[in-house]
Amino acid sequence: MSRPLLPLFALVLALAATRLAAGTVVVTVKDDKGQPVADTVVSLVPLDSAAAAVPPPAEPAVVSQQGEEFTPYVTAVAVGTRVSFPNHDKIHHQIYSESPAKPFAIPLHGPGAEQTLVFDQPGIVALGCNIHDAMSAYVVILATPHFLKTPSDGTARLADVPPGRYRLDVWHPRLKGDPRRDIVVTADTAATQSISVSLKPDKRLRRAPDGGGGGYK
Amino acid sequence: MIPRALRFRRFSLRLLALLLGLLFAVLATTYLVVSRANERTAHDHARANLELTARIVSSTIGQRIESLAGNAKVMTGDDALKQVRRTGNNRTLASLLQSFSTRVNAPVITFYNADGDLLATSDPAMENENADPFRLLIREAIDQDLPQHTGFSYLKQELHVLIVVPYYAPYPNVFGWFGLAFPIDRAFAWKIRETTAVQLTYVSLDPPDRPRVLATTLPDHSLPPVLAAVLAANRDRLAHTLPPPTEIVPLPDDRYVTLIQFRAMLGEDPVALVLQRPLTPELRSARDLENYLLLTSLVALAAAAVLALVLSRSISEPVRQLAAHTEKIAAGDYASRLTLDRADELGQLATAMNQMSVGLSERDRVRDLLDKNVSPEVAAALLRDGSALGGQEREVTILFADLRGFTTLSEKLTPHELLTLLNRYLDRMSAAIEAHGGVIDKFIGDAIMALFGAPVAQADAADRALAAALAMEKALVQLNTELAAEGIAPLAIGIGVNTARVIAGNIGSHRRLNYSVIGDGVNVASRLQSLTRTPEYHTNVITSAATLAARRPTPPRSPASSPSSASSPLPTFRPLGTVPVKGRAEPVEIFAVG
Repeated sequence: MSRPLLPLFALVLALAATRLAAGTVVVTVKDDKGQPVADTVVSLVPLDSAAAAVPPPAEPAVVSQQGEEFTPYVTAVAVGTRVSFPNHDKIHHQIYSESPAKPFAIPLHGPGAEQTLVFDQPGIVALGCNIHDAMSAYVVILATPHFLKTPSDGTARLADVPPGRYRLDVWHPRLKGDPRRDIVVTADTAATQSISVSLKPDKRLRRAPDGGGGGYK
Repeated sequence: MIPRALRFRRFSLRLLALLLGLLFAVLATTYLVVSRANERTAHDHARANLELTARIVSSTIGQRIESLAGNAKVMTGDDALKQVRRTGNNRTLASLLQSFSTRVNAPVITFYNADGDLLATSDPAMENENADPFRLLIREAIDQDLPQHTGFSYLKQELHVLIVVPYYAPYPNVFGWFGLAFPIDRAFAWKIRETTAVQLTYVSLDPPDRPRVLATTLPDHSLPPVLAAVLAANRDRLAHTLPPPTEIVPLPDDRYVTLIQFRAMLGEDPVALVLQRPLTPELRSARDLENYLLLTSLVALAAAAVLALVLSRSISEPVRQLAAHTEKIAAGDYASRLTLDRADELGQLATAMNQMSVGLSERDRVRDLLDKNVSPEVAAALLRDGSALGGQEREVTILFADLRGFTTLSEKLTPHELLTLLNRYLDRMSAAIEAHGGVIDKFIGDAIMALFGAPVAQADAADRALAAALAMEKALVQLNTELAAEGIAPLAIGIGVNTARVIAGNIGSHRRLNYSVIGDGVNVASRLQSLTRTPEYHTNVITSAATLAARRPTPPRSPASSPSSASSPLPTFRPLGTVPVKGRAEPVEIFAVG
C-alpha cells in the first residue's frame, strides 16, 4: 500500500462508515383501489434534532409552460431553491400565486421568456395562469433534505437517512386526510412503508373547452 | 215495401231486430258524439299546451341570451383580457377566449375589432367562414346603436343563437365586439322536452324544398311525416294563406297534435319550429269514459236482447199454440182444449177458441145424431132451415110395412139374435125405400113408416112409393134366400101405401122434436097394411084409389122417364073392392099391387 493511496483509502473508509450508519426508507403510495399514486411528495422530518441545513442545489428547478400546461405538475424543492419558468409556447402566458409561502405574479410574457424565482419559505405554492384556466401546477418547498416525488409506480426510495426517529409526511394535490406517521430509521436497513391514501376527484379543467352539449348538460 | 232482409218469419226476430236496432242507433250516436267532443277538447287542450311551450322555448332562449350577454359584459372588464389585448397576440387572445368559454359555459366566444374583423375565436373549428352572421349582427348593432344584438344563424351547419356585445375600453368607447353563440341542438330540444313533455323539432328550410332536421327529440322513423307537414306549412306560409294553428300529424306511435312556427334567420330562409304532443295521453281520461260508455251500451244491448226475446216469446209462443190448436180444430179435433194462463187478449182468444171448440163439437154431435136418427134429407133440411119445418099441409104418400109372424119368431130366438135379424131386415127395407127417394119417418118395433114427398116435395111421390113397395118385396125374397142358407125361417111382409093431404112438421116437446106427418091419411096407410093379412086378397101390397089417382099419367114405355122404371117393372093393380076404415065415413077403394 503506497502513501499516495492512503488518503483515498481513508476517504473510502469514511464513506463506508457513513454508509454503514445510514438507513433506507422505501415508501409505496397506493390509492383506495390499490393503484400506485404518482406526484406524491413524501418527506422525512427528524424528530430528535433539527434538520441539517442543506445548501440548495446550484441548478434551478424548472417548471415550463408548454402546450398551455405547466410541466411538471408537481415539483418538490428544498427551501431556497430557485425555480425557473420558461415559456415554450407560441402564445403569451401569465403566472401567479396567492399562496402564503410565495405570493407572486409574473406578468404576461411572450414566447421564449424565462423568469426565475427563489422559493425560500417551506410550504406549498399553487401556480396559475390568469389567461389559461386549465393551467395548474404546485411547487412543494421542504425544510428537510429527505424528500422525493413518487413516479408513476408510486414508489419512492429515500436513501442515506441517518438512523433516528422521523415523521413521514405525505402530500398530494388531491389528498384527503393526513396519513403522516412516525417512523424509526435504523442503520443498514431498508424499511418499507406502505401508505394508502384517499384522493379527492380530479377537478383540473380540460385544456380544450367542451365542444358539445351547448352548455345544456 | 219492406226489404226482403227485414221480413222476418218469426215475430221474436222482428221485435229483437227493432229493439236492438233502435237502441244501437241511439247508443252509437251517443258514443260518436261523445268521442268527437272528447277528441276536440283534447286537441284544444294540446294546442294551448303547445302554444305555451312555444313561449317557453322563446323564453328559454331569451334567458340564455341575457345570461351570456351579462357574462360578456363582465369579460369586458377582465384585466387579463386587457393585458392580452395590449400584446396584440390574437393566439393568446384565442386561448383566453377558450378559458372564458369554459368559465361561462358559452360554446362559442369570438372577438372582433371595432370594424367587425374576426380577431380570435374560442372554437378553432369555427374560423373566418362563420364570421359573416356575427359581422351582420355587429353592423346592424352599430347602425342602430344597440347595446347588444341577437339572431339565429347556422354555425358549422348547425343552428345557433348568436349574440354580439360591445367591448368597451372604456365605456362608451367601443374597441371591439364579443360574439357569443350557443347551439339549438338535441340537448336543447331535450331540455325543453324534459320540462314540457313536448316533442320538439327544428327543421331547416334552406333550400326550401329540401327540409333538413337540425335538432329533434323524435326517433328517426318518426321524422318523414313531420317533414311533410313542415313542407305543407311552408307552402302555406309562402302563399300567405293562414293554416289552422295546429293540425294532427300521424306518427308511427301515435297521432300528434302539431304546432309549426317559423323563426327568422339572419339573411337566410327561416327555420321551422315543430312542437308536438301525442293525442292518446290527452284522451286517456276521455277514453276511460268512452270505454265505460261502451261497456254500459253493450250491457244495455244485451239486456234489451234478453228482454226482447222474453217479450216476443211471451207473445209468439201462445200465438204458435193458438195456431197449432186451430190446425187441430180444422182437422176435426174438437175435444182438445187450449190452456193459456194469462188474462190478456191472447188469453181471451184462447178462451174464445175453446168455446168455439165446444160449439163445433156440439154441432158435430147434433149433426151425427141427426144423420142416424133422422133421414139425411130431414137432417139436411133441419140444419139448413133450423126448426122452421113446422106445420105444412101437403100431399104425401105414406108407406107402412110390417113383418108378419114376428111375435112367433121372437119366441124362437135369443134377444140378441132377434135384434140382429130385425136390424138386418130393417136395413134392407130402408135401403129399398131410400133408393126410391123415400124418407124413413120412424121405426115402430118391426114396423116401418116411410114418407114420399116430404119433407121435400116430389111430383112422382106416389110412383116412387109403389115402386119402393115392390122393391121391398123383392129385397125380402133376397133376404129370405140368405136366411134359408142360415137355417132361419123365411120372413113375410105386409105393405100399405096411401096418398093423402097431411100436416107435416116437427112434432114433439121443446126439448125433443120429431119430423113427422099427422092426419087421417096416415091411419089409412096403416089400415091398408093390416089388410094384407086378409088371405082372400092374396097380396102383400095394398094401395088406395087416392094413390092410384096421384100417379102421374103413365108415359109411353120409356126407361128414362121414371126413376123407378129402370130398376123395376111398372106395377099392376088388381081392384079388391072397397073396405070401411075405422074413423072414416066413406069406405076406401083398395087395390092389390103386383
